[in-house]
Amino acid sequence: MTNLAPSLSGRLSLHGVDHTARPTWKLRETVEFYRDILGLPLVHAITAKGWGREKEEHADFIHFFFDSGNESTIAFFYYIGTQQPPELVVPRGYMAMANHTAWRVETEEQLLAWQKRLENKGVRVSQFVKHEILESIYFRDPNFYPLEITRSLRDMEELDAVDANMTIDAALTLEDSGRWTSIEQLWRAKADFVRKRQQEAEPVAAS
Amino acid sequence: MSGFYVLDVPEFSPLVRAAQQHERCRVHPVVAGYRYVEFDCEIEIKRDATGLGEAVWFGCLTGGLDGKITSFTSESIRLAPTNEPVLGV
Repeated sequence: MTNLAPSLSGRLSLHGVDHTARPTWKLRETVEFYRDILGLPLVHAITAKGWGREKEEHADFIHFFFDSGNESTIAFFYYIGTQQPPELVVPRGYMAMANHTAWRVETEEQLLAWQKRLENKGVRVSQFVKHEILESIYFRDPNFYPLEITRSLRDMEELDAVDANMTIDAALTLEDSGRWTSIEQLWRAKADFVRKRQQEAEPVAAS
Repeated sequence: MSGFYVLDVPEFSPLVRAAQQHERCRVHPVVAGYRYVEFDCEIEIKRDATGLGEAVWFGCLTGGLDGKITSFTSESIRLAPTNEPVLGV
């Protein structure tokens, strides 16, 4: 019997982002923003007659890619002769901002340089925001898609993963309860996990 | 016993330092990656005392809480012991 997937015998892994893609109905503004304002090289474009999917009346389109470093690209689909469906208009408000792209830079100086570049090109850009392990600036593209440029403040350690797993385990318990309404409930539920971890590590000394 | 857990990573060390200066907090040594900051009555920690930015401040109890939040603003947090169940009754 032919082994169709020998790699499945070991641990599968991914190797970073190849591309992300979104639709646009603003071809010129999108090209000018990504290529000319951000300076990301336009590196690839696919053009096709509806991909042959006549039954769903798939529009003819251009699918084009900008180089965003480390062999990753950000890509767009422009569906010729179509109107933007209302459900694909980016909503206002913080919830829709969760759907964003964050690019990495290496240093604070680079982050500052990007902030200045964007400001000089007339793009509204946020101040630096320092999170737990990231420092970021935020802005929007002409499609109102949220974008972020970030730098890592420290490497992620094994302890971060341990902590993340306890957070998610506590959260899953609360979600299953159907009565979860606040972060305070999560923090209180998580304390049980952390206490148990400490007791297992130091049965006598731990709180 | 009431208190909160603080993950032993650099971004939360300002919170530990503020707790160490707090007369009503007792900071335990690190065990399995977390410090326990113990209190036995209502306490208030001011953000100014920690020097934390807001993004980290509003997540400062992410290590876990044995107690309840009586107020949480961008300026300060007040915590107190509780026997109330996590999900209410």
